[in-house]
Parts: sequence; structure tokens; C-alpha cells
Amino acid sequence: MWRWIKEHIVLFVGLLAMFYMLLPIAVIAIFSFNDPTGRYNFEWVGFTTQYWQDPFGITPLTDSLITSIQLAFLTSIAATALGTLIAIALVRHQFFGRRAANLLIVIPMATPEVVIGASLLSFFLTTGIFKLGFGTLLIAHIMFSISFVVIVVRSRLIGFDRRLEEAAADLGASAFTTFRKVTLPLIAPGVGSAALLSFALSIDDFVISNFNSGATVTFPLYIFGANQRGIPVEVNVIATMLFAVTVIAMLSVIIQQRRAEKMADMRPEEIANKPAVSLPM
Amino acid sequence: MNTFRQRLVPYALLGPGLIWLTIFFVIPMYYMLELSLKTGSLEAGFQMTWAFSNYTDAISQYSTQFWRAFYYAGIASFFCLLIGYPLAYAIAFKAGRWKNLMLFAVVAPFFTTYLIRTVAWKTILDDSSPVVSILKTLHIVPPDGRVLATSAAVIAGLTYNFLPFMVLPLFAALERLDRRLLEAGNDLYATSPQTFWRVTLPLTMPGIVAGVLLTFIPAAGDYVNVIFLGGTSQAMIGNVIQSKYLVVNDYPDAAALSFTLLAIILVALIIYIKFAGTSALMGEEEEAH
Amino acid sequence: MSVFTARRWRLLGALMAAVLASFALAACGGNSGLSGSGNEDVTTAKCGDASGSLKISNWPLYIDPKTIKEFQSETGIKTTYTEEVNDNNQFFGKVQGQFSQGNSGGRDLIIVTDWMAEKMWNLGYIQKLDHSCLETVFKNMVPSLKSPAFDPDREYTVPWQSGMTGLMVREDLAPEVKSINDLFDPKYKGKVTMLEEMRDTVPLVMAADGVDPTTATTEDWMNAINKIGDAVKSGQIRRFTGNDFVQDMIKGDVVAAIGWSGDGVQVEADNPNIKYVPPAEGCSLWSDNMLIPVGAPNSPAAYEFMNYVYEPKNQAQITKYVNYVSPVKGVKEVLVKQDPDIANNKLIFPPDSVTEKCFSQVSPPGDEEQQKEVEQAFQNVLTG
Repeated sequence: MWRWIKEHIVLFVGLLAMFYMLLPIAVIAIFSFNDPTGRYNFEWVGFTTQYWQDPFGITPLTDSLITSIQLAFLTSIAATALGTLIAIALVRHQFFGRRAANLLIVIPMATPEVVIGASLLSFFLTTGIFKLGFGTLLIAHIMFSISFVVIVVRSRLIGFDRRLEEAAADLGASAFTTFRKVTLPLIAPGVGSAALLSFALSIDDFVISNFNSGATVTFPLYIFGANQRGIPVEVNVIATMLFAVTVIAMLSVIIQQRRAEKMADMRPEEIANKPAVSLPM
Repeated sequence: MNTFRQRLVPYALLGPGLIWLTIFFVIPMYYMLELSLKTGSLEAGFQMTWAFSNYTDAISQYSTQFWRAFYYAGIASFFCLLIGYPLAYAIAFKAGRWKNLMLFAVVAPFFTTYLIRTVAWKTILDDSSPVVSILKTLHIVPPDGRVLATSAAVIAGLTYNFLPFMVLPLFAALERLDRRLLEAGNDLYATSPQTFWRVTLPLTMPGIVAGVLLTFIPAAGDYVNVIFLGGTSQAMIGNVIQSKYLVVNDYPDAAALSFTLLAIILVALIIYIKFAGTSALMGEEEEAH
Repeated sequence: MSVFTARRWRLLGALMAAVLASFALAACGGNSGLSGSGNEDVTTAKCGDASGSLKISNWPLYIDPKTIKEFQSETGIKTTYTEEVNDNNQFFGKVQGQFSQGNSGGRDLIIVTDWMAEKMWNLGYIQKLDHSCLETVFKNMVPSLKSPAFDPDREYTVPWQSGMTGLMVREDLAPEVKSINDLFDPKYKGKVTMLEEMRDTVPLVMAADGVDPTTATTEDWMNAINKIGDAVKSGQIRRFTGNDFVQDMIKGDVVAAIGWSGDGVQVEADNPNIKYVPPAEGCSLWSDNMLIPVGAPNSPAAYEFMNYVYEPKNQAQITKYVNYVSPVKGVKEVLVKQDPDIANNKLIFPPDSVTEKCFSQVSPPGDEEQQKEVEQAFQNVLTG
């Protein structure tokens, strides 16, 4: 009896927590269909789909979104490449200076964003080599994403069998071929989720960007400015779209997995216990 | 392959990333350290005067905001743990085929900018909202009270915004848990709560440590939640740094405050990790080779 | 990361030594070279064939979305319009490094408030304007704006929009608020906001205490700041805001605030109970101005844009959207046909009865150093 209650209590609390996490997103989505009379979109006036029909009508908003997506994309590629190499070195090799390297990975994660943003601004202003703008944003985003990538890829690498690589080497594969044909496919889910995480961190960053953006406006910076004079409904529409796109992408991954599991006719609970995307940390 | 070349391999792998971190993290930190000891103004330029007084002034003048930041961040981390642990547990052990979906729901908020989610909380918590009315009926909020523009709102915002950073490492730790240990506990006639306290909780400690760090640190430096959800007398140290930097343009003081904040966090981190007895942040330091 | 091994301590020691050594070097180096150059020798911006591309930095939602598109199609000038000015000081902090090196960061036209325009001019960051290039502007500028105290000959500024800072009141919830002093009435505890821009808030509080803001001493400023500080401690003031005070008022979370007239007009659509009230003791008048920074790559295009927005029909479109006080003559005549509500609005086209007690926005007295002290004291109230 106690057990039944306990099992369901945990699930119930979990669902409650889910509700808490998704509530603001629901509010954002609902208000993307609002039809405010004035410029302020937080009192329900009436239902309309007009903003969904033309969500990209505000040029500066659309520009900022494009900037953010480009930035997140480039950040994700660069940080994932740099971070994955570091993770491989840390897990696969013994070398002098390992601990210093570890520290250099951990400390940026332990540094509050406001400190990172401020120090980068001091650096850019004092050296005067870099013009504040898209370039400096990219530098900053890659910098703070590297550590997260290292952690994610590393946890994946620790868990896999080195003998596969050794076997490949025994069969005469060169180091590079071994990496490409054996190592990379094995850590691919880890690399994939690291890329996803750095994309998310970049597209969501406000504090560091606020210090180092120069005249470039990213999506979060636009929202911050617009909040002063009422956030346009289009922002809700775009935020909802971003959310929907990720939902659809993730669902398609999950459905594909289910399909694969039917095809392979595996025991469902085995699959159910495998996360679709291996996770940060 | 000769051994010399082999010895170079790790450095070649590390090189690009670590050089990036050195140039754009270590060197900027050094510049800021330098700046924090200067005096002067933006218009007239800053001169190096070894002004250690910047530090003493900063700490004495803004000790309230420092305490407030750690206090808010501490409470927010505690709530994150309280909400996050059952959630991670439910996802890891109870979700069955919904696991992936629930996991995704935890990560999903990242993809709608957190500024706009914080603004949504403003709508949810405004003085005449149903949520606040319910709280008033339950006497959690006094009848003439409010939620927005109070420290409660700031802490709620921090809790909400950093919850995913708590859930993910906890989930990873629970996921790695060897279920046979739990079964063994039950076979030895431990009740479920006993199994939890004696087996599950100690074994997931690294996840808790990592989760608390990953929520506490960003929360301690945050200033956005205060801007959107706070009122007066809720400014955290992040707000002071931001205002010194971007409004008053007093860079040396801002740099001194930033450094003090970083130093406090690092010292706390070292002590914490020593006592927690795990190398939570980087996985096992000494894994088998 | 489990324990601090001897090796790691050595490493730290080496790091510290390296840092200290480089400090010693830096100390000999001295100045980091951030300084103003004065404005004796600034160039005059040239006009001529307006083509190519133009880069404008303005405040968020401060122009009709169609205006830029139409300007582009009429002139063929490719315009990059960036809404990057959220706050005068923040913007200054962001661009100061480039401006001090005579580099505008590619910006041809920036829009900042009177006092910031003056500050940038004194530092030599702004180019002189050639009036012969601005015929439309000076033909259509309203007379009252032709000679402001800080720039009597409009040597380097052209007004973008003007406005008044005064009281905003929810008349259904706080009908008797008529003076800034009423904001300190315990009846409205926790339902009052003020602006986080010091030059908006502090002079109004001084005026309410019978001090003339235009001749106020540093001590007067400090007294007013202390008064505000006490109101913060007692919980009287809910928060300090930018334009977002409007949102709190619509919801009724706030019943009275120090706010801007332009928002007073816009918010009527959302809630007709919210009214701009000229405070009994006077209000403050300010303008945001267009400036051409030193190093602007394309000043002819910047002139072209200034002239374009001073055409009454183009200006009318902006006024309809932003609802601030327009610096351009003849806009009212255009709007009477298009949108009589706006044309007859006393806040957009203020009669003398609304403006007679107003003073031009003031800064704290004294040099940069003293002003900084006042600014810091106010910031300490904000981040208390």
C-alpha cells in the first residue's frame, strides 16, 4: 500500500514540477494569439491569428533573430570542435599539465556571467584590436560554451570500450581512420548533445552579450530593449515557434527510435531506459 | 609512430581550445585585475595607482548586496534541489516510455529565451493574478501584500530559471545508479525510505553537488531577475556590477567587485569540493587508464 | 579536484609570481589611453551626393516601422537601423572606447538625450553640423527648439523627438494625485514608481520641495536623493523603471508614477484611466537629438535622413506611431486630416497651459567628478 502511494507520489510531484517548468511557455504561447488594443501585450483582449500570419513584419526583430541563429550556429560548430578535442585529450592521454588544463576548463564554469562579460569588455576596450560587434559576440559565446562541451563529451568518452579502437588499430587502420570510423560514431550522441547544448546556451545568452554586443542586436537583447516600450506580439509568436521547432525535432527523434525498436523487435523496456539524446553532465 | 610524436598528440588536441580559453578568458581576467587597481574616469583615462582601496571600499560599501546575492542564490538552489530531485527521480525511474519526452521538457525552456520566460512570470504573478489570489486565500501572502517586486518573486525567478541545471546532473547521477544495489537494499528488508536515505541519496551525492554548483553560481551573479521581478532593496551584487560598469562607467570599482565575487565563489568552491569529497564537476579526476 | 596537492600549490605560486611581475611592468606603462580630445578641432560634417549606405542607432520602438523602408526606396540609400540605445549611460559606456579613438563603429547617426549630447560634444566625439546642408530641418523646426541652452545655435544637434517628464496617474485608483509630493503619501505605499534616469526623477522631487532645479546645488540634489532613499526604505516606492512603468499601471499594480508624456498617449489605448498629469510644481522638458559622430563614414546620407524626417508628411507618420512631442512644424495640419484624435491630443501638441511651468532638463552642477558623485549616490538608492 505504502509502496503504491510512494510510487505515485513521486510521479505526481514530478508532473507538478513539469507543469511549473512549462507554465510560462504556455503563457507565452497563449499571448501569441492575443489581440491587444494598445502596445502592451499582457492583458487578454481577444483571439486573433494575425500575428501568426506575419510574424516577421518587424524588421529589427527579424534581423535580431537571424543574428542570434547565425551566432548560435557558428558558436555550436566551433565550441563543439574545440571542446571535443580537449575531451579526447583529457580522457585518452596522460600528459604533463593535465590538472592545469582541468582547472582552465572548470573555472570559466564557476565564473558568474556578469564577471565574464565585464572582463571581456575590459579586454576588448583596452586592447582595441577587436571591434565590438558580431565578432566579439562569437568570441565570447565560443569561450563560455567550450567548458560545457568538454564535460558532456567527456562523460560519454569515459563510458566506452577502448578495445574497439585497439582492435581497429590491430587491423591496420591508421590513427585518423580509427578516429573517423570507430571513435567518432561511438561518441556521436555525446557530441550531438554538446552541440545542441552550446546552441541553446548561445541563443539564450543575455548577460555576456549585453556587455560585448557593440551595435549588434541579438534576439534576447532586442527583447530587453522592447520590454521598455511593450514587447510586440510577434516576439511571443517567434518564441513559440522556436519552442515548437525544438518539440517537433525531438519528437521525430523519439518516434524514429520507437520505430527502430519495433523493427528490431527489441524489448521495449530496454529502449525506454536509453535516453534519446545523451545528456549534459 | 615514435614516442616523441606521440607525446605531442595530447597537446595538439588540447591546443586550439585551451589557447582560445587563455586568450579570451585568462587574459581578460588579467586585464580586469589590472583595471581594478586603477583610478581615474572614463573621460580622463584610468591610471595605475595600485588602488587596493577599490577592494576595501567595494566590500565595505556593498556587503549588503553580496550577502543578499548569496542568500537568494542559496535559497533558490535549495528550492531547485527540492523540486528537481523528485523530478529527476520520476524521470529516471517512473517515467517508463515517457522518459525522453519528460527529459526534453526539462531542456526545452532553453529554446525560448529566458528573458521572455521571466516576463511571462511577471504576467503570472501580477498583483491581481489568480495565482496571487490563491496565495492570499491560503494566507501565504498577506491580504494587502504582493508577490511581484518582492524578494520572493526574485527567488522564484531564480529558482525557475536555473532549475534545468539542477535536474540534468541529478538525472545523470540517478540514471547511472546500479539498480541491483536498490534491490539488494530491499532484499535486506530495508523499507523504501531507508533504501533511499542509505543507498540512493549517498550514491547520487556527486549529482547533487554538481547540481547545486550549477544553480548557485549563475544565480549568485544574476541581475536580470531583479530587473524584471524585483522592486527596490532587492538588488544583488550583479546589479551593482552592471550599474557600475554600464551606468556610472566606473570600471575600476566594477572590476574590483567582479573579482571579489569571483574570489568568494572560488574559495567556496574549493572548500565545498573538499568537504563533499568528490570531484563532481569534472567527473572522476583519476579514472583508470 | 579532490585535494590541493603540493604540485598544484606550486603551480598557483608560479601563476601569482607571473601576475605580479607583469603588474610591475604595467605600472611603468601607465595610462591605458582612454581619454577625450576636446572639441576645439572637430570637423564639420560634409554633405553632398547622398548615396551608399547609412547606419543609424536609435532607441527601441522610436520610429514608425514603415519609415525606414520608405526612406530607402525614395533615396536609394541602404539603411541599417539598429535599436541599440536602451539607456544614455549604457550606450555611452558601449561606444566610448571607439568614439575616443575617432571611430564611430560605422555609425553615421546616433540619437541621445540633451545632456548626453552635450557630454559627447565636450569630449570631442561629435561633428559640427553645416546648416546649409539642413535646409528642410531649419525651415520646419518649431521655434521653441531652435535655441536650447546647451546648444544655442544648434551647432551639433537636431531634435528627434521631445517629451515631458511628469506624473502618470491611474485616475480611477488615485484621483487626487496632482503633485510629486503626493507620491510620498503613505496611502499609496508600494504602489508608486519613479524613473531610473536620475535627470528625470531627482529634479522633479527637488521642484516639489520648492527648490529651483535650474539653480540647484549639489547639496540640493543630495537632499532630494536622500528623500527618495528614505521612501525606498519605507517601502513607499515599489521600483524604479524605464518605460515599463506603464505595464505596472495597466495592471493596477502601480497607481501613480513619474513618467514620460509620450507613454501617456500610447497607454490610453490600453487603459483610458491612465492620464498624464502636469505636476503642480512644474515638469521637465527634454529632447532626444540626432548627432553625427566623428568618423561617421557617410555624413551626406545622415543629412539626407535628417531632412527626410523633417518633411511634415514623413514626420506625421512617426508622430502617429511614437506619440511624442514632434519638433517639426506642420505635422498637426497633416494629421488633422488623417487622425484627428492625435492632432488634438494635448500631450503631442501641448498648449502653453501644459508647458508653462516646465523647465529644461537639468544635470547636477559642477564638474564631471561632482556629477559622478551625485550619479553614484542615486545609483546606490537604486541598488540599495
